[in-house]
Amino acid sequence: MEYDTIVGLEIHVQTKTESKMFCSCPTGYFQKEPNTHVCPVCLGLPGALPVPNRRAIELCILMGLATNCTINKNILFDRKHYFYPDLPKGYQISQYKDPICSNGKVTLPSGVEIEIERIHQEEDVAKSTHHKEASTNKEYSLIDYNKSGIPLIEIVTKPCIRSAKDAKDFATEIQQICRDNKISDADMEKGQMRCEPNISIQEKGKWKYEDGKILPIGDYKLNNKVEVKNIGSITAVEKAIEYEVKRLTEEIANGKEIIQQTRGWNADKGITEFQRSKETADDYRYMPEPDIPVIEISKEDIERISKELVESPAQRRLSFKEKSLLEKRVTELGYDPEGTAWVRENTKFSLEKAGPTGPSEPDYADFYFGPIKSHMNATGMGWDEISKTDPNTPNDYYRLSDAKKQGLITRNKLDEIYKESLTTGASGASILEKTLQESKRSASNLEDIVKEIIRNNPKAVADYKGGKTSTMGFLVGQVMQSTKGSANPNEAKNILEKLLK
Amino acid sequence: MKIDVKHIADLSRIALTQEELDKFTPQMETILQSASVLKNVDTEGVAPMKKHIPFSEMRDDTPIPPLSQEEVLKNAKHTEKGFVKVYGKIFGDIEES
Repeated sequence: MEYDTIVGLEIHVQTKTESKMFCSCPTGYFQKEPNTHVCPVCLGLPGALPVPNRRAIELCILMGLATNCTINKNILFDRKHYFYPDLPKGYQISQYKDPICSNGKVTLPSGVEIEIERIHQEEDVAKSTHHKEASTNKEYSLIDYNKSGIPLIEIVTKPCIRSAKDAKDFATEIQQICRDNKISDADMEKGQMRCEPNISIQEKGKWKYEDGKILPIGDYKLNNKVEVKNIGSITAVEKAIEYEVKRLTEEIANGKEIIQQTRGWNADKGITEFQRSKETADDYRYMPEPDIPVIEISKEDIERISKELVESPAQRRLSFKEKSLLEKRVTELGYDPEGTAWVRENTKFSLEKAGPTGPSEPDYADFYFGPIKSHMNATGMGWDEISKTDPNTPNDYYRLSDAKKQGLITRNKLDEIYKESLTTGASGASILEKTLQESKRSASNLEDIVKEIIRNNPKAVADYKGGKTSTMGFLVGQVMQSTKGSANPNEAKNILEKLLK
Repeated sequence: MKIDVKHIADLSRIALTQEELDKFTPQMETILQSASVLKNVDTEGVAPMKKHIPFSEMRDDTPIPPLSQEEVLKNAKHTEKGFVKVYGKIFGDIEES
């Protein structure tokens, strides 16, 4: 039996404000003493009055604008009731019927479009850890209310995601949008972003997707869905879904019925574990929040907030696709606003200096993801740090990219020159000049070296002459080895071809 | 007007005996009955009565000093190393306080 994977994603993001959602407690609680960022409101003491944070709502609207959502004119809050020690009021202030943002969409690097059902504003709950008392064997929880009341937005997609890879790409896209627009740092390890996929598998051809819903065809009975929690990284989003699809397929093959359930991802074991069944629908007894008035958003408010919007990853990708960059580079630049700015700035310089025949976007992208990125990875330096230590100007980058484009230097040589400029502080152009002079001097020696290689490799030479042209690569390699990489492989190849004719 | 007191009590993790259920159910139903007269009011064409405020009148995002840890924990029944301590299972019986 063949099955289709059906996934809907819920992503929670803590937005970046100075104060909490409904009170003025400071938000910077990470690694602070427990219960030190708390007041009567976020502690849920009787009589405390919630007062919404304007900036938090602006950030929620900004997220909606960045994901092509419709923004509601009136903001209404609701109470979602459930009983748990991390929620001292007994209810969470959230939004039920009228989310701030609805009907958005995001385009992935693959071109797949993911539909967003809603983005609503709510408040985070306290942090609880669970323990057992050694002396009495009693179970207990320790609660830190610092996280209680942190502004939280929930992004809910329609069940339109059809693969683990698309779910991962969507989460990556949301994370990038959050960071670019300074909505959130969206660090999953710090709990600033949390992904919860809803997963089911359905028989091929037995279901249809209509109005944002999965519907059975004929008398087919849909399989129940499974929700997975505790996912601590973007890669785990993909792994957890892959694991779950495999598990569900096996369960059904073994004749078992899937019950609606919540499972937890165990990153160490790479598996999901049963947490609780959801046989009865959750009963949250939603009601309108009577303590918060209706907040009216005007067209001017939306216009003002939309001025904060920056270029989206999808827009960046589109602009580079037009410049005929490799697909891999397009995707990389989509997630890299700094790299994008660097490539654009240098391309502009090159265009002004040399016109359209000079190095362009693809050349500079190669430079950025080659020497610069590999240096960043090797040293662990961030963009700010490397910008400070890099002595090169757009003119240096231009000279280097141009020399590489014309085949005067190899990619390895470019790497070397760039690294040398960083360690010595000399400009890339001056090192390039020196290198080119040296290679000119050695060019006269090159023919002698090539002759020697031909003498020393009679078999390879015979193979080449016999029609095995791939042997050329080997001979060029020999030349490179004997010159310790200083020769230009194109020149070596030309001389070899000339002598072996 | 029927009301499932047991279900409501379960959701709130309150353990009620059968005697208590028998006693509370008619009481709560009477309360609902009394309030239900509101249903008879004709609200056709009447806008919901809720205060509206413009976006600009919302609170500025400026933090103010919170309570001290000592004050926060003052009313907690049990504490440990600055945390509030609660006995009970994760999805089971949380201790009544």
